[in-house]
Amino acid sequence: MASDSEDEDFVPGASDDDDEDEFPEIDTRSDSDDADTPDEDEDASDASSSSETLHVGPVGKTIISDITGRPKTVYPEIEPDYDSDSSTEDDPNRVGNVPMHWYDDMPHIGYNMEGQKVFKAAKGDELDKFLATVEDPTSWTSAFDKSLQSDKPLTPEELDIIKRLQAGENPDATYDPYEPTVEWFTGKGKEEVMPLSAAPEPKRRWVPSKWEKKKVLKIIRAIREGRIVPKNPKTAASQPKVYDLWGTPSSNQPPPLPAPKVKLPTNAESYNPPAEYLPSAEEKKEFEEADREDREREFLPQKYGALRLVPAYKDFIYERFSRQLDLYLAPRVQRKKLNIDPNSLIPQLPSPSSLKPFPCYRASKLSHGDRRVRAISVSPDGLWVISADEQGRVLLWETLVGRPVRTWQFKSKVGALEWCPRKDVCYFVVALEEQLHFLTPPHQPASIASLTHALLSPSVAPESKAASPSPIKWKAPEAGVLADDEKPLLTIELPQSSGLVKQIAWHRRGDYFATLSGTESHTSVWIHQTSKRHSQAPFKKVKGSVQRVAFHPLKPHFFVATQRYVRIYDLSAQELIKTLMPGIRWISSLDIHPSGDHLIVGGYDRRLCWFDLDLSSKPYKVLRYHARAIRSIQFHPVYPLFASSSDDGTVQVFHSRVFTDLMSDPLIVPLKVLRGHRTKDGLGVLEVKWNPAHPWLLSAGADGTVAVWSS
Amino acid sequence: MARLKQKGKAGAAKAYVTRTSAVKKLQISLADFRRLCILKGIFPREPRNKKKANKGSSVPTTFYYAKDIAYLAHEPVLKKLREHKAFAKKLARALGRSEWSSAKSLEDNKPVYTLDHVIKERYPTFIDAVRDIDDALCLVALFASLPANQRIPSSLTQNCSRLTAEWQLYVMHTRALRKVFLSIKGVYYQAEVMGQTITWLVPYQFAQSIPPDVDARVMLTFLELYQTLLGFVFFKLFTDASLVYPPPMDALKDEAAAGVGAFSLQEKKQDSAAAPSGTEVRADGKKVTGKDVRATIKSLAASVQTEGEDEIVKAHETAPSADVDATDDFVAYPSTSNPSEVAELPTLHSISTLAPTIQTKLFASCVFFLSRESPRSILEFVIRSFGGRVGWPASVGSGSPYDENDESITHVIIDRPVVEKPDETPEEKERRRKRKYVQPQWVVDCINKNAILLEEPYLQGKILPPHLSPFGETIGAYDPEEMQHLGVGALADEEDEEMDEEADADVEEDVVAKAVESADPALLHAAELAAEAAGVDSAAFEQQVGKAARRQSKKAAPAEAPEEEMNKMMMSSKKRKLYEKMKYGERKRAEEKASLEQKRKHIAKRSKA
Repeated sequence: MASDSEDEDFVPGASDDDDEDEFPEIDTRSDSDDADTPDEDEDASDASSSSETLHVGPVGKTIISDITGRPKTVYPEIEPDYDSDSSTEDDPNRVGNVPMHWYDDMPHIGYNMEGQKVFKAAKGDELDKFLATVEDPTSWTSAFDKSLQSDKPLTPEELDIIKRLQAGENPDATYDPYEPTVEWFTGKGKEEVMPLSAAPEPKRRWVPSKWEKKKVLKIIRAIREGRIVPKNPKTAASQPKVYDLWGTPSSNQPPPLPAPKVKLPTNAESYNPPAEYLPSAEEKKEFEEADREDREREFLPQKYGALRLVPAYKDFIYERFSRQLDLYLAPRVQRKKLNIDPNSLIPQLPSPSSLKPFPCYRASKLSHGDRRVRAISVSPDGLWVISADEQGRVLLWETLVGRPVRTWQFKSKVGALEWCPRKDVCYFVVALEEQLHFLTPPHQPASIASLTHALLSPSVAPESKAASPSPIKWKAPEAGVLADDEKPLLTIELPQSSGLVKQIAWHRRGDYFATLSGTESHTSVWIHQTSKRHSQAPFKKVKGSVQRVAFHPLKPHFFVATQRYVRIYDLSAQELIKTLMPGIRWISSLDIHPSGDHLIVGGYDRRLCWFDLDLSSKPYKVLRYHARAIRSIQFHPVYPLFASSSDDGTVQVFHSRVFTDLMSDPLIVPLKVLRGHRTKDGLGVLEVKWNPAHPWLLSAGADGTVAVWSS
Repeated sequence: MARLKQKGKAGAAKAYVTRTSAVKKLQISLADFRRLCILKGIFPREPRNKKKANKGSSVPTTFYYAKDIAYLAHEPVLKKLREHKAFAKKLARALGRSEWSSAKSLEDNKPVYTLDHVIKERYPTFIDAVRDIDDALCLVALFASLPANQRIPSSLTQNCSRLTAEWQLYVMHTRALRKVFLSIKGVYYQAEVMGQTITWLVPYQFAQSIPPDVDARVMLTFLELYQTLLGFVFFKLFTDASLVYPPPMDALKDEAAAGVGAFSLQEKKQDSAAAPSGTEVRADGKKVTGKDVRATIKSLAASVQTEGEDEIVKAHETAPSADVDATDDFVAYPSTSNPSEVAELPTLHSISTLAPTIQTKLFASCVFFLSRESPRSILEFVIRSFGGRVGWPASVGSGSPYDENDESITHVIIDRPVVEKPDETPEEKERRRKRKYVQPQWVVDCINKNAILLEEPYLQGKILPPHLSPFGETIGAYDPEEMQHLGVGALADEEDEEMDEEADADVEEDVVAKAVESADPALLHAAELAAEAAGVDSAAFEQQVGKAARRQSKKAAPAEAPEEEMNKMMMSSKKRKLYEKMKYGERKRAEEKASLEQKRKHIAKRSKA
């Protein structure tokens, strides 16, 4: 137990004066011991209390002071003898502070006190060093001793110092930074007895002040005179004062509008309402699930058997609050409340039954099979109808019978066909692609037939007046177009690639007619004169693509509808008269009232515009009641009727009375919606035509039928 | 050349300001702005065109009239608010420096604003003010029932309950109450004061607390305004009824929960009119000389003397003394030549002698005793407003003029189920036989019907008839009373009739139907004669006619529909939108009515089965 006894040298409790001189020195004996027996060292540290064992340096004793009577620490006196300095201590190597590399080549590292060489310790190679770090647990707590040129393990005291320095504490373990203060000059019984100055006390300390007296007198005087009044007692001020506010005249400004009053409660709010007011289970659920803002009424009706059972209404404060929010946050607008019958808003129009006759039901139907019927036309006397489908078949049939009398089969699609409005002759024009054929129905009276032949295929062809050669050729038919007996009397060949003719518009007199082809050039519109076999293009250029053309029934005016505008030209003066702006995105159809003063325009955007030509260039009335695009519209030539057909498969019939006096507006009354056509591929009724003699309507549908609507 | 118009210099751009710019212009916080708006009654406006009012921007904004804001800028209250802001800073600094005495003096000189001028501006005439006290009464009644806490000082709730009591006193005194409605929210009262109908809602007496989604500051600001308004209005009302305002309160009685009874109405003497002016001079804080003091003491002594002479008028004993001297009446002198020429004008006397439309002394002959569980605050007010006398047990409050054993009691208002009492003394039995034991709803229904109803359906423990709103429903809405008249049997019959309508094909009925169809009175008469001949009584015939007419109208309705549909095409879009809106509302109301009727029928059928 040698190591134990050596350890005790460092225990402060057991230390003597001579222990101190070992303070900075590293004890070689203890080092070697520690290296040999590390477990024993641990035992030793366990045995002694840690703070005591880790003490380095002089150790103080705590004694009671004679003077103050308090405990104080007394350190042992340091004797300034040889032993008191550690530098005089036993160092085995006495070479002093010389660079040790001087001894690098030597076997020794210096000399001891006796002058004998101190030899180097046996030094292992790097592997030994490494093994030592692994095997020896004290190796990481050892430091290199310069004078002995070898590693020495650090003592626990030194390690403790290092730990304290690392923690930023005082390295001395016994140092107490919070020692109690020693009161030398303060505290009970230690007051200074002697004054600092020996000057006598001044008079002002004990004589009452004259100036203060003056000030007080001034205040007293002011109080007496009533210049200083005491404050009103608090209780009187806090009470709100009321008086006759309206006793004095008020400004004659009008009062601000009173806030609207809260709605009065209804039966549902009663504590005992009739049973029918109580909500059903689903109503209750709906109420509870809805947000407060979405509820129709802010409470659920409830029934209580007695007044004593009625609980507090939990939203009471919230409702008062929301009323107040309404009062100061809601913008108030004075609204005129319309106390009228909503039905009075519906315009009072004459009853349709008083506006008879108009087509009401379908009298007959002619089927073209499955092919769309694009064009129909009624003969001027109203007896015959021709209809053409998309595959070039033209049927001639009687209006009343509805059976085809004659069929013509063309090789290409028929774009348009129109009966000549003259009554002394009888023929019609069928427009194919780039070709117009003049056909005459069979079984005509002899006089009419001969006149027609004389007009269309005279023995001597009339001389064309045109100086320049026209691109349009009028010629007798070739043999191959149709069978021999069905041969057209006359054919007009339009210029090449002018496209399918979309429309044929006859002039009222039956001599001129205009054709409209599909191309978007100025040559899409042609005006043909039958008697002189002459064709001309009226426009050098046209703005936009022409959708529809029409002749004025009385004046030499010509209407051209482009995609968005309708332009009226004077043919004799050769100038533009007026541009109408219907506001339709895409015009589909156009017709002129027989009086010539009114115009209706239909569009693919479902709008139908009525223009009074004497008035504005904006429509007089815009009707929008078809569900799909309007395809065709037409005025009846005699009766005050017009009809419109649409892709929704309906035909709508209107009464349209135009007055001769300028003061009254035209009267438009919706009469009847005729349903009967099926829509097919998004197309409904493609064409409507009136029978000129009767209030009968013909409609051609995309479903391949032509219907006759009779009154 | 005319001047060029600059953008934003005229029209909507100038007339409206946004809230942000208003707050910036007034240099106050948003909270102060809100307070000012509440007090001054300034509310946002909706410009016709928002873009024009907001420099072309269409972001959602609140707009105020620029003139309203300019008018706010000169508001004395605004000045006080600014002073208060400075005061708050000074006080905070003094407190921070622990300068207690200066903090105290600051606190004593705290700037306080008054709202007198605001009331005068908002309500230039007294009638305007009376018309607008509905909301004020509601809020004051609510705060009177709220518990006091840090936010709501007890002085505030006390003042509110004082105001409510004063209003009740006035209404009772002038017999102004017209209608009462017990709803699930509270009790609605409607009174007629100065020709204005005033409706207010009083919550049932339960402790309530302010929910977290309610901004108490807004409510308190409104309350501040309403308290002032009510103070002035009551002063004027009481003075006009020659009563002293504020009515003196007996603190002892109030402690003992006497309620309205703690206040006593005093009639004003003409010579004591100078009293309020005297107090005002004192309040002005002018210099007080010894002479003034002596004069004041003298006048005080005089007023005390006169007050002592004032006779105390019990509220329930007073009746408006409208003694019009009959001799002062206008007398028409008819012309001797043409006596019928002079038009008879209604005079004051003739009007007063006419039977009044509202009987305000409905309960004059009744003496009520409120049992413990019936709400005294409601019933005492209501009964005394209609001339009744009320007593209550001491456990409910002090000051009851009648004891439970009083012989004069005619009605006991009781709200609990019937309990058999086997050990009743004969006296008690006798008393029980003499008195009517009714439920509280009887009183209210009597008032709304303005007649003493039969007590039978309202007796203790009976299932009460439904309590309907006296304010009525909107025109055309479902009316339960109408259905009541039809009766349960009729309802059920109607059901049956609809069922076997097709089944009974009577020859006679056909004739009737034809007659109705042709709308020919002669034919109808003939049909009636035929029916008589066949032995059908006239009531049955009428029924048949009604049935046929109904069927006829059912048939006619769809026939005219398509024509109307066609005419709708010719409406302008503006009119069509309006029409559709109106139709939507109409349809909704009709649906609601139909569903209620359906439910009613269902209930009737079930009860029959």
